[in-house]
Amino acid sequence: MRFACDTGGTFTDLIVEDDDGALSMYKASTTPSDPVQGVLDALTLAAGDRNIPLGDLLARGEMLIHGTTHAINAIITGNTARTAFLTTAGHPDILVLREGGRIEPFNFVAPYPEPYIPRALTFEVPERVNSAGAAYTPLDEAATVEIIAKLNAADVEAVAVCFLWSISNPAHELRVGELLEEHLPGTPYTLSHQINPALREYRRASATAIDASLKPLMGKYLGGLTERLTAAGFTGRTLVLTSQGGMLDASDLARKPIHAINSGPSMAPIAGRNYADIDCASPNVIIADTGGTTYDVSLVRDGRIPLTKETWIGQPFRGHMTGFPSIDIKSVGAGGGSIAWVDAGGLLHVGPQSAGAVPGPVCYGAGGTKPTVTDACVTLGYLDPGYFLGGTMDLDAAGARKAVEDHVATPLGLSVEEAAASILSVATENMVQAISDITVDQGIDPADAVLIGGGGAAGLNSIYIARRLGCPTLLIPETGAGLSAAGALMTDLTNEYRATFFTTSDAFDRDGVNRTLDGLRAEAQTFIDGPGSNAVSSQIEFAVEARYASQVWEIEVPLSIDRFSHDEQLGTLNEAFHAMHERIFAIRDPGSVIEYVGWTVTARCGLRDGGPGRLVAGKGHKVSGTRKVYFAGEGSVDAVVHDFETMAMGQPFQGPAIIESPFTTVIADGATSFERTASGSLLMRP
Amino acid sequence: MTDKQLDGAQLAILANRFEGISSKMGNTLLRTGRSGVLNRAKDFSCCILTADCDLLAVAESLPIHVLSGPDIMARSMKEFHPVLKKGDAFLHNSPYHGCSHPADHTIIMPVIDDDGVHHFTVLAKAHQADIGNSIPTTYHGTARDVYEEGALIFPAVQVLKNYETIEDIVRMCQLRIRVPEQWHGDFLAMLGSALIGERELLALGKEVGWDTLHAFTGQWFEYSEKRMADAIGDIPKGQASAQSTHDAIPGTPVEGITVTSNVTVDPDAGRITVDLRDNADQMNCGLNVSESCTRTAAYIGVFNSIDHTVPKNAGSLRRIELHLKDAGVVGIPRHPISCSASTTNLADRIVSATQRAMAEMGDGFGMGEVGCFCPPSTAVVSGTDPRNGKPYVNQLFLGHTAGAGAPHQDAWLTMLHVGNGGMCFIDSVELDEVYTPIHVHTRRLIPDSEGAGRHRGAPGIEVEYGPVNCRMEAGFVHDGNIHVPQGARAGLPAARSNQFRSTRNKELEPLDQCSIVWIEDGETLVSIAQGGGGYGDPMTRDPERVLHDVREGIVSRARAEEVYGVVIADDMSVDSARTTELRLA
Repeated sequence: MRFACDTGGTFTDLIVEDDDGALSMYKASTTPSDPVQGVLDALTLAAGDRNIPLGDLLARGEMLIHGTTHAINAIITGNTARTAFLTTAGHPDILVLREGGRIEPFNFVAPYPEPYIPRALTFEVPERVNSAGAAYTPLDEAATVEIIAKLNAADVEAVAVCFLWSISNPAHELRVGELLEEHLPGTPYTLSHQINPALREYRRASATAIDASLKPLMGKYLGGLTERLTAAGFTGRTLVLTSQGGMLDASDLARKPIHAINSGPSMAPIAGRNYADIDCASPNVIIADTGGTTYDVSLVRDGRIPLTKETWIGQPFRGHMTGFPSIDIKSVGAGGGSIAWVDAGGLLHVGPQSAGAVPGPVCYGAGGTKPTVTDACVTLGYLDPGYFLGGTMDLDAAGARKAVEDHVATPLGLSVEEAAASILSVATENMVQAISDITVDQGIDPADAVLIGGGGAAGLNSIYIARRLGCPTLLIPETGAGLSAAGALMTDLTNEYRATFFTTSDAFDRDGVNRTLDGLRAEAQTFIDGPGSNAVSSQIEFAVEARYASQVWEIEVPLSIDRFSHDEQLGTLNEAFHAMHERIFAIRDPGSVIEYVGWTVTARCGLRDGGPGRLVAGKGHKVSGTRKVYFAGEGSVDAVVHDFETMAMGQPFQGPAIIESPFTTVIADGATSFERTASGSLLMRP
Repeated sequence: MTDKQLDGAQLAILANRFEGISSKMGNTLLRTGRSGVLNRAKDFSCCILTADCDLLAVAESLPIHVLSGPDIMARSMKEFHPVLKKGDAFLHNSPYHGCSHPADHTIIMPVIDDDGVHHFTVLAKAHQADIGNSIPTTYHGTARDVYEEGALIFPAVQVLKNYETIEDIVRMCQLRIRVPEQWHGDFLAMLGSALIGERELLALGKEVGWDTLHAFTGQWFEYSEKRMADAIGDIPKGQASAQSTHDAIPGTPVEGITVTSNVTVDPDAGRITVDLRDNADQMNCGLNVSESCTRTAAYIGVFNSIDHTVPKNAGSLRRIELHLKDAGVVGIPRHPISCSASTTNLADRIVSATQRAMAEMGDGFGMGEVGCFCPPSTAVVSGTDPRNGKPYVNQLFLGHTAGAGAPHQDAWLTMLHVGNGGMCFIDSVELDEVYTPIHVHTRRLIPDSEGAGRHRGAPGIEVEYGPVNCRMEAGFVHDGNIHVPQGARAGLPAARSNQFRSTRNKELEPLDQCSIVWIEDGETLVSIAQGGGGYGDPMTRDPERVLHDVREGIVSRARAEEVYGVVIADDMSVDSARTTELRLA
């Protein structure tokens, strides 16, 4: 038995995979002050469902895979460790200046962001390695020891060390690591060339600072998780999801906690790729995960999930860039909790303000007074007030309707239904723009892709999003409400090893590249022989980051070989780069020199044979035949209500219809045709 | 036009669609463009205009690029080509016909449906690394006229006919532009961007109907105008004048060039007037500000001073009345005078004067002066790279601050200059050291150099770098050595900018602020780029913010007492009693 448990801001999703492969899904509330409690609560629900004590359930589990927001929440709320930044003398402002750039050039209200580590805790270490990798200024060890004494006096809890060009020559960073061990024993530290060996000092420094600042907290959290699971009877392996879409043993992750920044959301594209593959055989997939406050979009391009180093915690240029490779997820503040409001000029806006989980939408009856997207859906009849989350939560439909009327319908001079439909349309447009941005950036044409609707609220407008984008197919997986947890069951034990080695297509340093790749492969093999030793399969993948000369950004190109032994292989690589550049940016420049910058070796260890099984059908619920709903353009119509879990498979249906499960509601207007596939997903054609 | 009435939701959705199209144009241009100035300084813009040449939607880009200019350029396209056909596009860079300056090559394309009706015009503009000037720079500050400047000028010259490129023009450019491949790459990127805009607008017209789109544009302008009138309605009535002076460089009077901006705010009528007629005549140098940049700079001065959520388009611009001087150094310079450096140096002074005049209307409006442009840390450097024997030329963006204090917030630190609005990236030291044979010794903020205020300006920044195993030529036009960025509403000025050569004996030698200098192996260039002016009396600054600046090493304890009247005790807390005493004194 395996458990996949994803802790979100509002709910903790659990999917239990029985030994026969059958899946069952549970949702418990997240306890922000004690997220482990949410995990135990969800497991308790699963035990109750099986009429066995929690200990018996846990004793049967061989593996628990956990997605956690603990790391990112700590950063957002400023609860990370008191961390010092050790930098090359003369360059104290790397974290202050960042890489420049701004959004909203006329906005002089938004403050310039504070550095991730304050200047007051920044220390300049006398040393400098130059771009050739030589020690231009030797490390002054006596001065370093004095600095360490200052760290001690300043009650520093963690130390981030990032020196210029440590990626070419790490000797100074390594020596400072030794001095920290000696003079500040027990205080965790991170060396930049080890955590993020990438060119560009801000990105490396930022990743180093974030990693160090998370070490005390994530060590404690993951230790506590493991201990409490063990105390409750669990004897299996605890794995944690990483930002790169893989997983690591909890104890490994505690040593490099920056991997946990996007733990959880990174699983949505893994699951989406799997479901699209089963039902649509499409190599291009757009995965949209609708939450209460955010809308996360990720992609699969030609079967691969693109990574980015430009992941922002918070808004671009106002938050912190992690600088660390992570699955490319575009996140916008749009969700069920987004608030609708009319400005002084009479224009309707939806968001960016959100009612959040507390007080939440008006219909939750928890004190919310401003109409949200969820309230609009209740008003339109899309959500059954008596069957929200399978009937576990009553909705105040009258309150929702009144809020829509007072705040939107009246100021705009619309009927309440028209106003509610307008709220949904504006929210839809906001989501479409988010998808449009990321697909343009990654070179994907939505007309050539499948849209996956994930998250409990996806079904309320995904059909409109697909239509607007020109996506011919929309797929709502049966596990869609817990897409990340489902993805967790499909992913591999993964670790990446990176190095910077600069060479060009017109003066290719074959020996240098081979040395770099050999070194990385040896590290990957050590991982496969260690944590991966029980895997059912393992593989090593190679890739290179490259760009045309004078370009600023690199793109990643998979390598089909692990060593370069003759010139034709360089020709093949050059052509692969041109093809990838054309794929993403629509142009190629065959006359230009190519610069090869960063090399990556990935170790993947499969921990299962085949994919997970199907969701066990619930008891179903009585559907009432039809329900009155309102669609923009169609007006008020009677929609047939289907039970998602028990509806016939392979049978074509036509809207207007509503498809309900305890976890989600999907609407299909009159123009929509749909069927439930043999894999359990809802396949819709807008 | 049509009298179809759209509701507030339909307006919102269509506005979002137009914005989406312009930002898709912008993303495409950014991702496919080749020159560093496009990619790193984000020196490009994309916008959509109505068939009547009114600015409708703008992708987020440099402020100095778009608020005015595209409208004038579109009008010149219609004037020079009265019969426009589907699939036509034009190359435009003439500052005498609405372009910002000749370095900003622009593709302008009418959006024409299958019935031959012209509905919209799309425009993609990108600063080029080279445009065939007489010397290898696109900012020829000392050019006597356009002939000495040497730029190829294209006043809406057709480059696309029935979607086919007119290669004659391309070949001409390739023979006169120093980096022909790079230029051609950017040319194709701009064409691609315009074509995407055209295609998406045609699809949108098909989807929702041209009538609806034209009803939308009229109502969107009305909505924007109302928002603008409301925003102006919140400003106290008044009239104020402010000046800002550019330091002298060769070709200017010895006292420099003073820009005067007279601003009148009429909240009852919801109208602002900016009068720039009280300024000098055009001069025989490259600093003259084109009509496009003069107008835009005045608009930026206004928009920097009010509610930032007001949409920027022809509707809101109706509420700003401008008076320009014909043949003025700012205003409407006439051919053949040069506007080579029109987007930065003197244009920044127009913005500065205008937003400081706006500040005079009342607390809560306007802004201090943003720091001056083109310090040696953003020099164009060139030479031969000893690592591969190849010549190189590259503009660096190694470090800049310049932000000014605003009514409700401290400076945005990394503004670069006011016309850029902070959109520019800052180079990675490591990346520059790979690309260019230089070694960057120091890059650090300078304590006690900020323009003090209730909301303070940015501190300055010191950058020291030099060539490695070779000599290096560096060119820059550094303003702000003499005339520093002023504060607003009793805010104080920022420290002066400066530039030195550090010799092999580590002695600092002053350099001319407008220089092309050789730095020898073992020598370094020291750039002191300045911050910006403060807003409001520093004696009213929140003591906790002063304490934070002291802890962070931006402001010394001595300056905290002297300038801010805040006493910081030895335990690094605010001594409230002594602070109150000092501030009352």
